[in-house]
Amino acid sequence: MIIEYYRPKSLEEAVALLQRSQPLTIPLGGGVTVSRMKEPDCAVVDLQDLGLNQIVSQGNIVRVGATVTLQQLADYEGLQPELSLAARKETTYNLRQRATVAGSIVSGDGRSHLLTVLLALDAVLIWAPGEKQESLGDFLALRDVRSANKGLITEIRLTNNAQLKYEYVARTPEDRPILLVAVAKWPSGRTRVVVGGFGKAPALVIDGPDASGAQMALGAMLQNAGDEWASAVYRQDVAQVLLKRCLIAF
Amino acid sequence: MQIRLWINGIEHEWQVPPHETLLNALRRHGYYGVKDGGCQHGECGACAVVLDGVPVNTCVMLAAQADGHRIETIEGMGKHPDLGWRKTEGLHPIQQALVESGAIQCGYCTPAIALAAKSLLDRNLNPTEEEVREAISGVLCRCTGYLKPVQAILRAAAILRGEQVPPIDEVETLAFPTEWPGLTNDVPTVEPKLGSSPSPMVRTQVMPRIWTVMHPERQAMQRVGRPEIKVDAIKLVQGKPAFAGDIEMRGMLIAKVLHSPVAHARIKHIDVSKARALPGVAAVLTYKDIPRVPYSTAGQSDPIPGPLDTFSLDEKVRFVGDRVAFVAAETEEIAEKALKLIDVEYEPLPVILDPADALKEGAPIIHDEPDYVNFGESDPKRNLAARIRIDIGDVEKGFQEADRIYEAEYEVPKVQQSHIEPHVVITYWDENDRLVIRTSTQVPFHVRRILAPVLGLPVKRIRVIKPRIGGGFGGKQEVLIEDVAAHLTIATGRPVMYVYTREEEFTAARSRHPMRIRMKTGVKLDGTITANAMYVLSDTGAYGSHGLTVTGNTGHKAMALYVGDGEYRKAPNIRFYADVVYTNKMPSGAFRGYGVPQGFWPVERHMERIARDLGLDPIAFRLKNAIRAGELHPFSTAWSEGREPRPEIIHTVGLEECVAQGKAIIGWDQKYGNPEWHQVPGKPHLRRGIGVAMVMQGTAIPYLDMGGASIKMNDDGSFNLMVGATDLGTGSDTVLAQMAAEVLGVPVEDIIVYSSDTDFTPFDKGAYASSTTYISGAAVVKAAQQAAERIRMRAAKMLNQRGDGHAEVKPEEIRLVDRKAMAPDGRYVTMEEIALNSLHHTDQEQIMGIGSHVSPVAPPPFAAQFAEVTVDIETGVVTVDRLVMAVDSGVIVNPITASGQIEGGMTQALGYAVCEELKYDEQGRPREKDWVNYHIFRANEMPKLETIFIETFEPSHPFGVKAVAEIPMDGVAPAVANAVLDACGADILDNPLTPEKVWRALRQK
Repeated sequence: MIIEYYRPKSLEEAVALLQRSQPLTIPLGGGVTVSRMKEPDCAVVDLQDLGLNQIVSQGNIVRVGATVTLQQLADYEGLQPELSLAARKETTYNLRQRATVAGSIVSGDGRSHLLTVLLALDAVLIWAPGEKQESLGDFLALRDVRSANKGLITEIRLTNNAQLKYEYVARTPEDRPILLVAVAKWPSGRTRVVVGGFGKAPALVIDGPDASGAQMALGAMLQNAGDEWASAVYRQDVAQVLLKRCLIAF
Repeated sequence: MQIRLWINGIEHEWQVPPHETLLNALRRHGYYGVKDGGCQHGECGACAVVLDGVPVNTCVMLAAQADGHRIETIEGMGKHPDLGWRKTEGLHPIQQALVESGAIQCGYCTPAIALAAKSLLDRNLNPTEEEVREAISGVLCRCTGYLKPVQAILRAAAILRGEQVPPIDEVETLAFPTEWPGLTNDVPTVEPKLGSSPSPMVRTQVMPRIWTVMHPERQAMQRVGRPEIKVDAIKLVQGKPAFAGDIEMRGMLIAKVLHSPVAHARIKHIDVSKARALPGVAAVLTYKDIPRVPYSTAGQSDPIPGPLDTFSLDEKVRFVGDRVAFVAAETEEIAEKALKLIDVEYEPLPVILDPADALKEGAPIIHDEPDYVNFGESDPKRNLAARIRIDIGDVEKGFQEADRIYEAEYEVPKVQQSHIEPHVVITYWDENDRLVIRTSTQVPFHVRRILAPVLGLPVKRIRVIKPRIGGGFGGKQEVLIEDVAAHLTIATGRPVMYVYTREEEFTAARSRHPMRIRMKTGVKLDGTITANAMYVLSDTGAYGSHGLTVTGNTGHKAMALYVGDGEYRKAPNIRFYADVVYTNKMPSGAFRGYGVPQGFWPVERHMERIARDLGLDPIAFRLKNAIRAGELHPFSTAWSEGREPRPEIIHTVGLEECVAQGKAIIGWDQKYGNPEWHQVPGKPHLRRGIGVAMVMQGTAIPYLDMGGASIKMNDDGSFNLMVGATDLGTGSDTVLAQMAAEVLGVPVEDIIVYSSDTDFTPFDKGAYASSTTYISGAAVVKAAQQAAERIRMRAAKMLNQRGDGHAEVKPEEIRLVDRKAMAPDGRYVTMEEIALNSLHHTDQEQIMGIGSHVSPVAPPPFAAQFAEVTVDIETGVVTVDRLVMAVDSGVIVNPITASGQIEGGMTQALGYAVCEELKYDEQGRPREKDWVNYHIFRANEMPKLETIFIETFEPSHPFGVKAVAEIPMDGVAPAVANAVLDACGADILDNPLTPEKVWRALRQK
């Protein structure tokens, strides 16, 4: 249960609170996930007054503040349509008004549209204190084992010069996907393929100078991807279809 | 901590604890228009307010986060225009449009939808339909199918732009295309022709098309047949505290239940001492603390047609979610803490999850308690809750005479009612030591009768109040949680409130019965069905609630439609066998359609496959064998919900007209069998398909369902109508008021309806079996006719006493119209004059009437359901593009509320077709616990919905009505599956049509 609430006015103040050893203290973005936490007892640090709700484009870099809401992201005109779509598909209209980008990264699972495309875009997380950078891939790999009091994500940094395509399968247009394939392709030819729709987080299939080998890697990666929502055989087969559609779309 | 908020423009300073949600804080301060859907992740949106201009869900936001922000709630939007001497600006145009457009059914999500609309229109007064759908997509509605809310918002936008909009009821005759100009790829949609709409944005599509089959008994009517505004719409659109949980009582405790984490076990040891010792805990109850009384939770008439196999608390648990202990505490947090302090040691027992395993020799026995009370052929030693064996005609002879025999096995899933308002109950002792149960129920009188022995109270010491209900769909035809609160009130002497969480709704409530169905059909090469047999293995879960009657209806309705043709029509050969078995899953129960959707999935899939195999037109094949007017309902002499069956002739069958009009609207002849239409230009992986299903339902249970009504006249000539009938959002209070108004010659606004309070209203069996308009409506007509007779007598006397030289008028010559009692010569006295005369002036009497009605027949409504789909043949994804339903429900009392029933029903059935199912792991743990995983359709993903009414006149009802509420559940899933078959050849025998199932079927072709 939430036993303390803070709304700091500065990043330093927020970080200091978050680095306390007792009680457990966690950041509070929109509240969509944290506000209903029943255990353990914890303090929350509301980030709404920290000015982290801006999206700034600088050349090929887009800097998305940690508390930018999913609706802000979906509406921002400087983004690729596929990223906007992923933000829109992430959750319902009302929840998008409160759910933040950083919150979605911290709590999203393998069926997350947004995590899948951000991973394809090789998004980088900026942490306070110290403006430390961490790739989203590294973060997701260690998300379950890192200590709670590590600090605070302040920004998500994206390159805006990569083309992005993604395809998904769901039971209905607004249902959560059971399979997602996202492909990001940079002008250099660098290509990242990510698959989602199951598990705790989407997974990187390849990051290479081009898309060669993606099909084989995807098939191998999905060998054991069966769960209560779809079989591995289905995902293996249909992921190839989705990958093909993404690649054709470039 | 202290927070400062601006709510509806007024500054407030509140003390809130850090953990309190904004939802809780708002409701604690009296903002009851903010509703609670019980969801854990904000997925329903019923609790939405506008925060700094955008809609947000207050259940997933701390009150502290709102500090310094501006909030708009429904309480600030608009009010009733006339509050005595105080006049207001009235309802907001959005609210007014929602009311007029029939966009409000149960009304539980209405405040949230109104606020979402306001947020949109405050920013954009020219929204497209797509933008409106997106704007309200954060709010789940289980009643309407979203069509009317969307149209209402577009209408409100036009009004706010200053445009003129036509009245809803000024719709001209709607077009029925009889033929299309030619084969084209894109068959045009025929839109309703409207009056002088100034702009397309103002056009409204809330009125259904109505095709009237004229009948000599049908007369012109003033109120019946009109799209009257729902009698509860004004309060619901204001978010008034009308629901069970919208009150607070001094000293009220909060109840919680400890649910079993295991599917089958004995409670070896239970220790509640730590929980009882927790400060703030008022009571903890286990099976050791309360009387052991076997009962059935099924809200049905006496005697309940099923076994008594349930106990408020037992020493054994039979599914994950079963009850272990009850707690009452000062707060929800304390109650939840107390649950964690209860130590339980379980002795695990073998688990049965597959219904086929339940019948095997040596299977573990789920109900081994000695005090189990059998009903009919229930046999707990064989895990058998019910058994049905019906043979009509000579089935084996029919098979022998067939040219072909078709056999196949089908399966339908377990699905959940998902009413947005969860189960809510408040219990308390009144000043007379009578127990009051204020509950969200469809069956208040059954609740009282069933709970009396369980609680050790006589019926006369229990009062059940049903306030407004936020949807039920059968889920509240169950005495599900009332006993929990009642036991705790008895234990503590204090008021107790128990509100189910959404997780409890998915894990510890009721569902539709999942079934495995084997069909065997004999057919001659010309398409004549010679015999038809169905065997059903029905999974009732851990308890047998509704097991017999739901499963009986699977055959009684679905197997009655196709009787055969020629000599077989005169003497159909039909077999329906069923075994209803216990498993260690959440119990099944009543769900809109009540077994019939389970029956029409196999029947209509089977008919489609037979027709295609024989090379017959699927529609002609069905109509050739379908039952016709004047024929005997084949099951009427064989089965009647566990009671004595009696023969019933079906007088009205509008099925052929339904087919003709439905085909025309959807453009069947231009699309079916047209290869060009089936292709999607530029998208070789997509295929279009079109499908049909024909269905029938019932209207009430003959010789059993009874409704009562009383009506009394007030000083101003208005009337109080008291009915036991239970409006669960369907609009039944409104159609009952319309019938009373029709008889009494007054506007509907002069009928004040009070429904469902066991102390104050006559008995009614409750809201189920599509019976209210037909049964309760006939009771209302009888009561109103009694009152009308007294009015005519008094009016004649008053006119004759005037001494104005006119000839004496006889009471029977007087017509009641426009609030007047009118003599043939034009003289009249007003209702108000009659009321004052009767109550105060001369030969005083209370003009009133009472009536009750039970029917000897259950006239079936019929329908033709059409579906259009697009299938991705590489992924198996099915997109339903359009649903058209043509329905014969007899005379339509209120076209807007009736079409709302069809649209909402089709939408629920759409989920049954493509996405809804409850699944369990090998230990019986449920996969679905919320609306994230259990997906129900949102506004921004809906197909186009169209409703056509084919009005026959049912002679067994004074206004010619039949049922409308359940039939839309029956045909969508098979029509969609038939359309998928048409699109790509994927032949799916078990719904829902998930992408993987379609993909597998395509690979097996």
